[in-house]
Amino acid sequence: MAVKPANDHVIVPFTERIVGVSTAVLRAVGEPAVASGTRITSPSFAVDVKNGCNGVEAMLILLAAVLAFPAPWRSRLAALAAGALVIQVLNLVRVVSLFWLGAHHREVFDLFHTAVWQTLLILTAVGLFVLWSRRVGGRGARA
Amino acid sequence: MGLAPRVAAGFLAGLLLWWTGTPAYNRLLVAASEPALRLSERPAATRLYAEERRIVVDRADFASRSERPSLPGDDLTLNVILLLALSATRRRLFRDRGVLHLLAALGALGLTHVAAVVVAVKALYATQLGSWSAAHYGAVSRNLWVGAAHFYRVAGCWAVAFVLWWAVVRPGVSAASPPGRPGRRRGPRRASRPRERG
Repeated sequence: MAVKPANDHVIVPFTERIVGVSTAVLRAVGEPAVASGTRITSPSFAVDVKNGCNGVEAMLILLAAVLAFPAPWRSRLAALAAGALVIQVLNLVRVVSLFWLGAHHREVFDLFHTAVWQTLLILTAVGLFVLWSRRVGGRGARA
Repeated sequence: MGLAPRVAAGFLAGLLLWWTGTPAYNRLLVAASEPALRLSERPAATRLYAEERRIVVDRADFASRSERPSLPGDDLTLNVILLLALSATRRRLFRDRGVLHLLAALGALGLTHVAAVVVAVKALYATQLGSWSAAHYGAVSRNLWVGAAHFYRVAGCWAVAFVLWWAVVRPGVSAASPPGRPGRRRGPRRASRPRERG
């Protein structure tokens, strides 16, 4: 992820999509937000969505755990697809809520940015893995 | 209490502990990390101070008027929230030696925090101090320290909390038990019945 070509050609465009969707949601709830690359700006607040705020780390952690767990490939792929979807939906809520908090309740922005959302996202990835691993159990002997 | 409320309670307890305890914990952390850093220094020059949620790095050879770099101490110790949230999944956490297991995990987590501060300070020395960094750290050691610090921030800190929960706090029920087959039980075991042979 930190390798520059991968960052420039995969991660940044992916983050720009997240910013685009987040901005659309923000505008739908009445925030005068504008997207520009990886930035969301409004007259009262601005954020630059960087690595660590795009949900990719949580997806990579889930990917590593699922690939390392003995399970059939079909089950692994289903878990990865569902997990990525859940993580990205949650990350969308994260970006939108953080922007809203920054614009209207700046005093708690740092707490939610640093601690609450980071931990919630990782906790979700871990929870998804634990639930999935309990479901597939020892059926991975063929994998 | 169901699983979700327990996890939520553990998450909130961790958040409260981390948010209110960070300034005091940072003082403890710098007191433990400074001697660890000085082990590799000749002469020992590093001095660490806790300033609220940040850790300030000072050196005996810094110019007296230059600005002191600092690290976000709270970012390095954030994984305590994950550990407490995961630990809350254990039923009867406050019984059956659960508290002892939790304290052991928290102690081990504290040791990893000391290592994280040491690595973060080394990464700062290797890359953030301009010509001083270039004069004292080669390309390999620069990449090594920054890579280690980056790895900890991206995945390592979460992996440590997960492993400590999995290995120390988690109940004996295997997460990999096939459906319908009970995992290992805690508490007194029944004597196993000898298998009949036909």
